[in-house]
Amino acid sequence: MNSRHSHLPVAMLLMLAWRNIWRHWRRTLITLSSIAIGFALSVLMIGIGDGAHNSLIRNAIKLGEGHITVQPRGYLEAPANHKYLADGKALLAKLDALEVPGSVEPRIALQVLASTANNSVGAGLEGLSPRGDRRVDMLKPHLVDGAWIEPGDLRGIVIGAGMAGKLKAKVGGKVVLMAGKQGGDSQAQLARVRGIFDSKVDELDDYLILGDIALARRFLEGEGADPTLEPVTRFAVFLDDPDDMAAWKARLKAALESDRVAVLDWQEMMPQLVQFIMVDDAGNYIFLVLILIMVVFGILNTVLMSVLERTREFGLLRALGLARRQLLALVFCESLVLSLLAVTIGWIMGGGTHLWFSTHGIDIASLMGGGSTAMMGSFMDPVIRTELSWDRVVQLTLIIFGATLGSGIYPAIKAARVTPVQALRT
Amino acid sequence: MALLSLHGIGKRYRQGEVEVSALQGIDLEIEEGEFVALVGPSGSGKTTLLNIVGGLDAPSEGRTELNGTDITTLKEARLSDFRLFQLGFIFQAYNLVPVLSALENVELVMVMQGRPAEDRRRRAQHYLDLVGLDKVMHRRPSALSGGQQQRVAVARALAAGPRLVLADEPTANLDSENATALLDIMHRLARKQKTTFIFSTHDQRVMERAERIVTLRDGKIVDDRRVEARHHEHAD
Repeated sequence: MNSRHSHLPVAMLLMLAWRNIWRHWRRTLITLSSIAIGFALSVLMIGIGDGAHNSLIRNAIKLGEGHITVQPRGYLEAPANHKYLADGKALLAKLDALEVPGSVEPRIALQVLASTANNSVGAGLEGLSPRGDRRVDMLKPHLVDGAWIEPGDLRGIVIGAGMAGKLKAKVGGKVVLMAGKQGGDSQAQLARVRGIFDSKVDELDDYLILGDIALARRFLEGEGADPTLEPVTRFAVFLDDPDDMAAWKARLKAALESDRVAVLDWQEMMPQLVQFIMVDDAGNYIFLVLILIMVVFGILNTVLMSVLERTREFGLLRALGLARRQLLALVFCESLVLSLLAVTIGWIMGGGTHLWFSTHGIDIASLMGGGSTAMMGSFMDPVIRTELSWDRVVQLTLIIFGATLGSGIYPAIKAARVTPVQALRT
Repeated sequence: MALLSLHGIGKRYRQGEVEVSALQGIDLEIEEGEFVALVGPSGSGKTTLLNIVGGLDAPSEGRTELNGTDITTLKEARLSDFRLFQLGFIFQAYNLVPVLSALENVELVMVMQGRPAEDRRRRAQHYLDLVGLDKVMHRRPSALSGGQQQRVAVARALAAGPRLVLADEPTANLDSENATALLDIMHRLARKQKTTFIFSTHDQRVMERAERIVTLRDGKIVDDRRVEARHHEHAD
């Protein structure tokens, strides 16, 4: 004998725990099923939430200003047409030298007044490369009339259906774009509607005018910019791997930031979207907590019932010399085994459901009766595919595992309090 | 020196507003190897006395010395270890762990003692063989008869090598044939191993096999006499 103290090897503990939980196999199966279903629901719900959010973010980034934006300092707080990056050429050369994995898209964003013979509306003129710019990729499929603008088209614009309605403008119609200059004067350019898009995102359809960057640059020339330096109002940086954003933001800040140039990420550019996702996530977490409560009571019920039924048996074990702490470990081990099983089955069910929905997706648009999936100035893809990051996998596993294990604490303490003489009397 | 010495053991407990005296002034010495029956009517204090001797219950007064150790002074954890290494228990019912086979039940106490796997397996098989259960050692208690279950309990109590085995009405739930067979086994093994046995009973058949009968009434020892065992051992 090794010592004069009671031993209970882990293998024996696990074996006893395993056999004990299957003593009432129907009860255990019902408990495991309810936990696994709860877990699968959580995985699905979190997966849909993350899928929808990520879709919204991806589209917002494409429609917006990229993962990282290089723009004049102070523009975000107080946008104005005279705030631009005068030497766009030099900045682009620096960006090229950094070899950012992805693409860098020069853009000129201006606030203008768009007028036709019928009406005038405030608008945002976005000068960009008509081919290759991600915003073009996003909006081109929504073209409902006319054609897309061609590179070098110094008159052509594409407008949203909402704006076309307000201006009563048709394809081929004239639109005068007027912009205020610093000092109070104004300048204007004549444009022609080449095409009309209908993205179902009101913020875009009612406000956005897309034109070649050369058209927009004419307004900067009016502000005194030197066109040979290729002035822009911002560079939208799109990264191949969004996970690299923090690292690239730091590098771009170090290389480009000055008292005139600011480097911002999409979260800084779109704080309302971040806020919206946080609020939506909070709702998901509340649902998750409700599922956890269900799981905790499921396990508590099973383990506590099994403890109460075995009072005599615990008394016998204590009488034979099993130490209190070993009895505690035994009952806790039953919760542990139950937790491991629940998480494993939960992952098989939840993971399977996730895999299916991540491949086939959920047709949100048809669920919404074919309505718009627009939200927060962006839109979700009509078919949402569930997404689960490794962080989420670890987080969900730990939460469910912790909850199931935690629910075994009370029954374990209750079992350990059994005194042999009282237990054997029952 | 006696293996077990009880000095002035008393046990009182409250039943509602009333204080009940379960044992009073019990003085008793039991030598190594004795096969002792505690007899008396229901409520005479047999089980209470066995619980105190086994360290399962604490006396209200008095001392219990087993093998030179005053167990009334031991703390919870040490008392638990003391039971594990010094004592064997056979209870009236529900004696076995239902999820373990007969063999595993016999091994369990030796596992807790920290005996090497090979040694405990060999001992468990040997004792199950001695009680005539070598053919059913892999069955779980639910697949064994009441008599077989009590025999497993005897094997478990003895395989762990205790100084003293305490059996609280071990035959109470058995029919006559099984009760007799169990007693024969207990007696034979006690003789063979020189293990001390104390068992409580009000069963006449059990008393007939005892070598010493201690009679309790109203919590007091009213008779203590050595007798010639009058039984004929049954083949088991």
